[in-house]
Amino acid sequence: MMPEIARAGYLEELATLEASALGGLDLVNVALGRTMEAVEHQDVELAQVVIADDDRIDGRYLEVHQGLITLLATQSPVATDLRLISALLHVLKGIERMGDQCVNVCKVIPLTGNYAPVDPRMVELILKMGGCTRSLIVQAKRAFEERNVEMAQDLVRRDDVVDELNRECFHLALEIGEDADRREWGMTMLLAARAIERIGDNAVDIGEQVAFVVTGLFREFEDASHPS
Amino acid sequence: MESASVAAGTSLARPSSLLASGAGWRRRAKDRLMTVLIGGAFALAMVPLISLVYEVTKRGIPGLSLAFFTEDARGVVGEGGGASHAIVGTLVITGVAALISVPIGIMGAIYLNEYGQGRLRRALTFFVDVMTGIPSIVAGLFAYALFELFLGPGIRLGVMGSVALSVLMIPIVIRSAEEVLKIVPDHLREAAYALGTPKWKTIVKVVLPTAFAGLVTGVMIAIARIVGETAPLLVTTGVVDSMNSDPFHGRMQNLAVYAYNEYRSPGVFKQAAYDKAWAAALTLIAIVMLLNVAARLVYRRYKTEIR
Amino acid sequence: MFKPSEDVVADPKEQQGLAGGAKTIEARDVNLFYGDFHAVQDVTMTIAPNKVTALIGSSGCGKTTFLRSLNRMHELTPGARVDGHVTLDGEDIYGKGVDPVEVRRLIGMVFQQPNPFPTMSIYDNVAAGLNLNSRRVPKDRKDAVVERSLRGANLWEEVKDRLDKPGSGLSGGQQQRLCIARAIAVEPEVLLMDEPCSALDPLATLAIEDLIAELKNRYTIVIVTHNMQQAARASDVTAFFNLDATGKPGHLVEVGATNEIFTNPTEKQTEDYVSGRFG
Repeated sequence: MMPEIARAGYLEELATLEASALGGLDLVNVALGRTMEAVEHQDVELAQVVIADDDRIDGRYLEVHQGLITLLATQSPVATDLRLISALLHVLKGIERMGDQCVNVCKVIPLTGNYAPVDPRMVELILKMGGCTRSLIVQAKRAFEERNVEMAQDLVRRDDVVDELNRECFHLALEIGEDADRREWGMTMLLAARAIERIGDNAVDIGEQVAFVVTGLFREFEDASHPS
Repeated sequence: MESASVAAGTSLARPSSLLASGAGWRRRAKDRLMTVLIGGAFALAMVPLISLVYEVTKRGIPGLSLAFFTEDARGVVGEGGGASHAIVGTLVITGVAALISVPIGIMGAIYLNEYGQGRLRRALTFFVDVMTGIPSIVAGLFAYALFELFLGPGIRLGVMGSVALSVLMIPIVIRSAEEVLKIVPDHLREAAYALGTPKWKTIVKVVLPTAFAGLVTGVMIAIARIVGETAPLLVTTGVVDSMNSDPFHGRMQNLAVYAYNEYRSPGVFKQAAYDKAWAAALTLIAIVMLLNVAARLVYRRYKTEIR
Repeated sequence: MFKPSEDVVADPKEQQGLAGGAKTIEARDVNLFYGDFHAVQDVTMTIAPNKVTALIGSSGCGKTTFLRSLNRMHELTPGARVDGHVTLDGEDIYGKGVDPVEVRRLIGMVFQQPNPFPTMSIYDNVAAGLNLNSRRVPKDRKDAVVERSLRGANLWEEVKDRLDKPGSGLSGGQQQRLCIARAIAVEPEVLLMDEPCSALDPLATLAIEDLIAELKNRYTIVIVTHNMQQAARASDVTAFFNLDATGKPGHLVEVGATNEIFTNPTEKQTEDYVSGRFG
């Protein structure tokens, strides 16, 4: 029977690699969820689990990366295929960074000790940031799957919320007081908030890659040098 | 279009623009002169052929009659009689010659093209080339000597004429068949070998069918060449007035010898004899033309486009 | 031992999907000569079953010569000679008493220029292997073989209504698929392809490559190509041949998994060749 699409094997492989790469976002989402839980309950063991599990995210990165390089070498992709592969390589890098940021948050949890948080409002903010970032990740994944540029651009607006929360955290930290222990706790929590804010930025980068695949143009939606 | 000022002296002089190159009338006149000369040479070459056909037709038509085609000359002294025995004789002798020459010639060509290698092949090709140049009377004498060896002196048979004509025909068939087989591309043979086909089967089922049209054409042209040979038949088939269609018994008349005879010994009714001679010549030319036309038709019908 | 020709056409009902059976070819210390000229030197490699092995290298490096030695076509050139061993599933195809005609039935070949037999119809072309080799094959069996082979070559739908027309009326890509159908009709175990796409346009080339990807499930395939992208796309294993200098024999430089050869080759010569720095 005459195959309807030529190069079916190659296209299948490309689709599989895309699904695998985007599946990495699910892994990150789970890791972030667990991280928030660990922060909420000061659960050091859960934090250890997240840190250990980051290997899975790194493994996913290496595996899909190798597959994409092989496709580049053997299939001479052009046009949309080539942009897609380039975008996936960027997305993979972002996923790996997001995983590392979760690990960074989990690493600070033991440092905050097993006693009551100094300023519960900061913890609240961080948990809220985590929640928002998780839906950012879900939206970024959907935008990429559907090649939906508007949805991708909307990520900027939602990331602004996370950035706002981060700024509030910062102000709370400034007012935490003179006590050395309190200040140490405050700065540690600030590091955690910062890590989550970075995850949000990574999600926006994924949105930019969506626009690149669809339009062929790479444009920063918004970053530190181009505030919207 | 820049003028060749940079490399003056080393490059061709160019016109300063294409428009200026229109003054090449000298070249055009030379072209026209050459066309006229070549056309004239061709016309000159056609003159003998056209005049020959014209003469033979003009002189031969009076000799044609129903009797010419249906009666032989047995017992005829005067104006009557015909050349039916000669026509039949020509057909039989040529037919038997073809029967002998075609298988031998084609097999020979197959050997030379498909199997032959090195010195043996070169020697054989040389001998074939020599044979194409044999004078026809020599071929006739050879056939006579051969049959005399077995059947005694003075023997005259239709088949002897066929043998003599075969000696002339075989090298022609070999040569043209070899050319045709050479044209069959090697990649067709390779395709057959790659399917696990033995060599002989490849030749029979792939090479020969592909070359079929060319082979038939070559054979027909070879026949056309020998159908009018007179000298070898004079010494082998003899002269006879009555119909004989059996090549293995007795003398057989044929058109070429008939024409010669009527001319040499016209008897009392000179004009009638001459007319018959011309008519026989005309018939021979007609046969040759028919064979050539048939060859062309066969070729067009059966030729295979080989990419 | 090699089966005699009469066993070629098995019962088509048994052969519903699968024809032939892929085998391994091993070349050991193969040296190829044209008279005194040493064309290919010391090739040792394994050609794995149900995989596509591509032979690449610059012009004149001996890859086609080596390919033709795998089905004993090399020796058809006057003065050509083969030293060394080539085995098909362990049996030496150059062994004493081995019939080269039989070897060529087991190891089929498709050529660079599509070459359907011009005097035969499409049907007869596909059945040519049967007609030219075996004794009389009953018509219904022949029909089954022809249909199966044309389906296997992805050509059936396009020609099923004109099987009695001459093969030369097809386009270049279709003619090449016809030649492939003809080759697989005799149920070989290995299929050798000598630059099968170089005479075809890009779309026809892709159609043949897709076909090769399907065929490798049933046969072992070796393909010579001077198009590196094709080797990268279509093969599982790549072997790189090279010459040290004109007049020297070609030799095997490196053989390995295709994605390795094209992402991280071991030899510098290979790297230079695949990245287009020479040749």
